[in-house]
Amino acid sequence: MAVSWLRQLAARSCVPVYPVWGEHDEALLATLVLSTQIELVDSPRHASVLLVVGEIPATLRDGLKHVHDQLPSPFAVVWFRGAPLIALNAPIHVDEADRLVDTLIRTHRELMLGQRDSASRLLPDEPPNPWEGLGDDGHGGEGMMGGTPYGRPMAMNMQDDLRDGLTLDSLTFRLGPFYPALPSGLCAEITLQGDVIQSWETRHGALPQRLAPVFYAARERPVPIAELELARARYHLVQLYRGLHLAGLERIARHALSLARQLSTASRLDGLRRQLVRSGIFHLAAMDGGQLDTEMAARLGGPAARAAGLDADLRMDDASYQRLGFRPQCRTDGTVRARWEQRLAEIDQSLQLARQAEPDGLHTANTEAVETPRGPWSAKPPQDASALLDQLLPGLEWDEAMTLIASLDSREVAETSGRANI
Amino acid sequence: MIESLASLLMVLVVLALGPYVVAVMDRLVATAPRGALASDVWLGPLSRAAWLLTQHANATEAPDWQAWRLAPALYLALAAVGLALVPWSPTLIATDLVTSVVLWGSVEALATVVIFLHGWSANAVLPLIGAYRYVALGLSYILISMFVLIGAALPAESLQLTQVVASQESLWNVVRQPLGLPLFLVVGLGLTFWGPLNLADSTDLAGGTAAEVSGPSRLVWECARAVMLVAFSGIAATAFLGGWLGPWLPGPVWVLLKTLFVLALLLWLGQWLPRVAPERCVTLMWIVLLPLSFVDLVWAGVLALWA
Repeated sequence: MAVSWLRQLAARSCVPVYPVWGEHDEALLATLVLSTQIELVDSPRHASVLLVVGEIPATLRDGLKHVHDQLPSPFAVVWFRGAPLIALNAPIHVDEADRLVDTLIRTHRELMLGQRDSASRLLPDEPPNPWEGLGDDGHGGEGMMGGTPYGRPMAMNMQDDLRDGLTLDSLTFRLGPFYPALPSGLCAEITLQGDVIQSWETRHGALPQRLAPVFYAARERPVPIAELELARARYHLVQLYRGLHLAGLERIARHALSLARQLSTASRLDGLRRQLVRSGIFHLAAMDGGQLDTEMAARLGGPAARAAGLDADLRMDDASYQRLGFRPQCRTDGTVRARWEQRLAEIDQSLQLARQAEPDGLHTANTEAVETPRGPWSAKPPQDASALLDQLLPGLEWDEAMTLIASLDSREVAETSGRANI
Repeated sequence: MIESLASLLMVLVVLALGPYVVAVMDRLVATAPRGALASDVWLGPLSRAAWLLTQHANATEAPDWQAWRLAPALYLALAAVGLALVPWSPTLIATDLVTSVVLWGSVEALATVVIFLHGWSANAVLPLIGAYRYVALGLSYILISMFVLIGAALPAESLQLTQVVASQESLWNVVRQPLGLPLFLVVGLGLTFWGPLNLADSTDLAGGTAAEVSGPSRLVWECARAVMLVAFSGIAATAFLGGWLGPWLPGPVWVLLKTLFVLALLLWLGQWLPRVAPERCVTLMWIVLLPLSFVDLVWAGVLALWA
């Protein structure tokens, strides 16, 4: 069958990919975002290819099926270093990172040219709960109010408003586990009034994250400080990318990721910092809230704790860092703004430490306790702190809440490094 | 008769080419000064449109189908009405109403309804939040727009856009009323929910009112937003940059150049400014920009009396 010119043209388009992140290291993100042929999208409705990275725990597979079935036809699924769901026929599986982009492009083109069938649906196309057509208007309640049509409560003003006393209908729904503005795996039941969060109940914590291999190596043997600090700066730049993408500053976000990818001891943060200040993000975005108290800050550890004024950093106990004159940098107010400023300061500090340590090939001296970019790792790695969101988010507007989550980094650190992605 | 047909043709040409021009310019602005692959810049928008045309339009659970499908078309129709109001020359204009400024004001007001409809009718949470947010924003920017446009109409003593242009023969409004164009640009970003004022279709809502839309419906929605940007730029060029007025070149060329200038400015703002937090946005509108629009109006009134 002759392929229409429309499909041939569509086959040349940038590949819209919706990523579902299992356990992975962050290097893969830069590969995808900086590819001119790939576009990572925020909604499965906007994708042609679903990319599943790493293993997805059994508890989240239902969530994955829901995401899978939201992609409009024609679509395909690419599995990167993870076992495909049993229900799928002829899955596309990739193990090598350098083949991933090509595979995504080829898959999209095959779909557009009709050389590959669209993936089949995994769930029945019917409401998750039966219609409960009671009441005068068949909506399931009494009069014009209430009821649970399709098993979900109608929007009702069941709770007092937290903000200004103007009570609106409350809306309860579940978000996650693969919502792009949340850490992968995080799932919550949320009640909103307007766009103000009335309640946030975490139902499933975020999946553990894998750090760069050098952090795991640092737990076993002395490693070059320059390498460790560059990996730390890279980690913070990736977090910065997420925050900037969320804020709609895609151009500067890509700059941050590009800097992370090419990072060396000769790199400078000045250009990126200048762009951030000129964009006005510290004044225009919702950065005044999200204040952590001392207990919360201590529980999170790492940059979040230092942004709240806690002078805690395991590098202070390392003789090699002491030789370099290391002193942790701290902020005081523990807000979203303080956390982003803290990250920028720590990137600068890491680059400076790497430059100091590189000429002598200075190695770490302490393998018992390692300060990871997420927090301290002595007896055990930093633990999942998603439950803190239940206290922090009620009362915030949606935008404030998402900005706070992006600044917080509450994920657990995986105990093993797995395989490096690139 | 010929001029009526020509002006209608202009509207249709801009409707057809506007989305492509906006997409290309946005990519150029996004990649400047480093530059991108030429094929991606020029062919990218076309191949993306082709992909959206081949993608199926999805369903949500019990949407209001008619409203959901109609909303993008209605937004496009409103943008077309805006385009029809732009005078390309003293005679080359599709709709030269004596109340064309008022009609543009109604386009802005109706856009709020249509954008809300787009988010509400999907019967899904994230589009609904985007829709609510837009209503809050819409109420804020429409008042600013009203005062600023009345200020632009005062020197002309007319609500007819051709008269507004003619009144700028000696001095363009951008100079005569220095607050006018900057305030009106904020209105433009709000009306098209672009860049810093993209609260309706934002990343924190996974695309907001368009989060659940795919295929041809999404293409129409994106085209409508782009055409609205062009229509707004045309109105801004008319009201503040002297429309067809200018030396050497024919009037329509001046309108085109000025429209592209405003468009590039909006796209640049969209690339370089972060999304403003909704609460901060509304505060900024009511506490800072609305009083400034009063000042602009008083300034324009005093100048008109003095003249």
